[in-house]
Amino acid sequence: MGISCRSLRVTDRGRHRLAVDFLEVADGETVAVLGPNGAGKSTLLRALAHLEPAAGGEVLLDGEPVPPAQLRAAVAAVLQRPVLQRASVLDNAAAGLRLRGMRRARARLLARPWLDALGIAHLADRHARTLSGGEVQRVAIARALAVRSRVLLLDEPFTGLDATTRADLIADLRTALDQSTAAVLLVTHDRDEAAALAHRTALLLRGRIRQVGATADVLDSPADLECARLLGYTTHLPSELTGHDVLLVARPERCRLVVPGGAPARHGVVVAGTLRRVVPLGGTTRVDVDTAAGPIAVLTTTEVTTAPGDPVCVAVDAGNARECPPRDAAPIEDTA
Amino acid sequence: MGAVDVLLDGLLEAVRLLLTGDEDTWSVTALTLQVSLTATAVALLLGVPFGTALALGRFGGRRVLLAAANTGMGLPPVVVGLFVTVLLWRSGPLGALGLLYTPTAMVIAQAVIATPIVAALTAAALQQVDPGFLLQMRALGATRMRATAALLAEARLPLLAAGLAGFGAVVSEVGAAQMVGGNIEGQTRVLTTAAVLATSRGQFALAIAFGLVLLAIAFAVNLFVTLAQQREEAKGAGAPATEERTAPGSRPSGAARSSS
Repeated sequence: MGISCRSLRVTDRGRHRLAVDFLEVADGETVAVLGPNGAGKSTLLRALAHLEPAAGGEVLLDGEPVPPAQLRAAVAAVLQRPVLQRASVLDNAAAGLRLRGMRRARARLLARPWLDALGIAHLADRHARTLSGGEVQRVAIARALAVRSRVLLLDEPFTGLDATTRADLIADLRTALDQSTAAVLLVTHDRDEAAALAHRTALLLRGRIRQVGATADVLDSPADLECARLLGYTTHLPSELTGHDVLLVARPERCRLVVPGGAPARHGVVVAGTLRRVVPLGGTTRVDVDTAAGPIAVLTTTEVTTAPGDPVCVAVDAGNARECPPRDAAPIEDTA
Repeated sequence: MGAVDVLLDGLLEAVRLLLTGDEDTWSVTALTLQVSLTATAVALLLGVPFGTALALGRFGGRRVLLAAANTGMGLPPVVVGLFVTVLLWRSGPLGALGLLYTPTAMVIAQAVIATPIVAALTAAALQQVDPGFLLQMRALGATRMRATAALLAEARLPLLAAGLAGFGAVVSEVGAAQMVGGNIEGQTRVLTTAAVLATSRGQFALAIAFGLVLLAIAFAVNLFVTLAQQREEAKGAGAPATEERTAPGSRPSGAARSSS
């Protein structure tokens, strides 16, 4: 049991922004909604919390349609840009409970352990205005967790944080979520966040869910070309190059540069081309190769000795190539 | 006698009047506070909800009303006094109530002056809070009512200033108080009308005494509000500043904003 939605539609001035036929998050489960900017991720989150009017469809709690007030009471959301109150960190963490009618002293008492869980107990008496971006995010998450709602919605809770702060916060959040029985929906554009936090992942592209399944499965096997691009399979090997029936895609970091006539790929594919340019990215090197079917990119950590203009081959081992249906799924406007 | 002597004498006389607890001066002061504080309270009761609706509401004519409230901040007290007098005149629409030349009439007139000030400043105060504030409160499960209450609490300092501006406007006005109150000794005489009368009679010392009391009231009220504001600000600035400093609750700042 948990939260789910059926035929959820959101329109903006006649244009469909979201059309989700079905999505469910079970109690105790974390589902990531992964999508590029503008895919409708935040719209989906707000529609689930009844913060944005839906043009159609329904949001269900434990499989039953519920009135907006009841749904909102069951949900706590961390919005993309955290807004804290002009008050101490502890009072901010208690704000969710206070807004639900709890007395201040009790709310503060119940909120305090969540500051500890998010690693900000030492900031309890600090004024919210003196916090750094990462600390603000932690307070916002603690505030939502303290409510102990049935459903927790997280809208890109790690944006704008530096890599270290983000990694620490992901670890703390993961620990906190493991202790919680809430149904958690995480909206993100970062597949690493999905991999770290979500049991299941849904790919949202142009307002539609294209693929949903166990996170590891989804991240490893894109359903179509757009999903592949979203998941980092950005090196495309068309059938005219590979001799396969369908398009093959691969992660650029899983492609290898080989000299023509060198060792063939293990049960994989090798395509020939001309080296166009070599871009050192610090640690890795990006190599662009022109082929008969267009440019492809390779990321490598080994030294590139080939010079621009030289013939070169790109090899992809069989385990690293994915077959992709030739055409993208229909856009939302055509079918909704 | 030169002008400086007049002022000096006036100051000395004023201090004597105040220190010796001159009964007339204190009764006039008491009535002034009573009338203007009541009028401010009425203006807050009307102006805060009205200003909130102007800031948050989505209804036709909202902008026109907002412009009207902003214009109302500069309502000439004499004009307000004139209209209230006409309304309360014995043969006027509300003449049967017999309110003209009573403190109640002065409260009405001053409330009319202060309400648009409170409303316009309330709207401005609420619009300065982060635009995402209400949505975030609602996202935490707050009802519309509780979310609005949280927003008002968030804007408490500018709201305090709105009330202060309303009080400052009415305690210092003379036109409406004179017109609807009539400056009747012991009944409707307030500090401003008393100062005008004393001056016209050449009793400069008395006039200056009234003026000083007025200034003292204004200072006391401002001191109270300023101290409250500074205390609040100090809370927000007490801790060491960190590198990525954000200002939740104020306008969205670059650091706190995410780009996606």
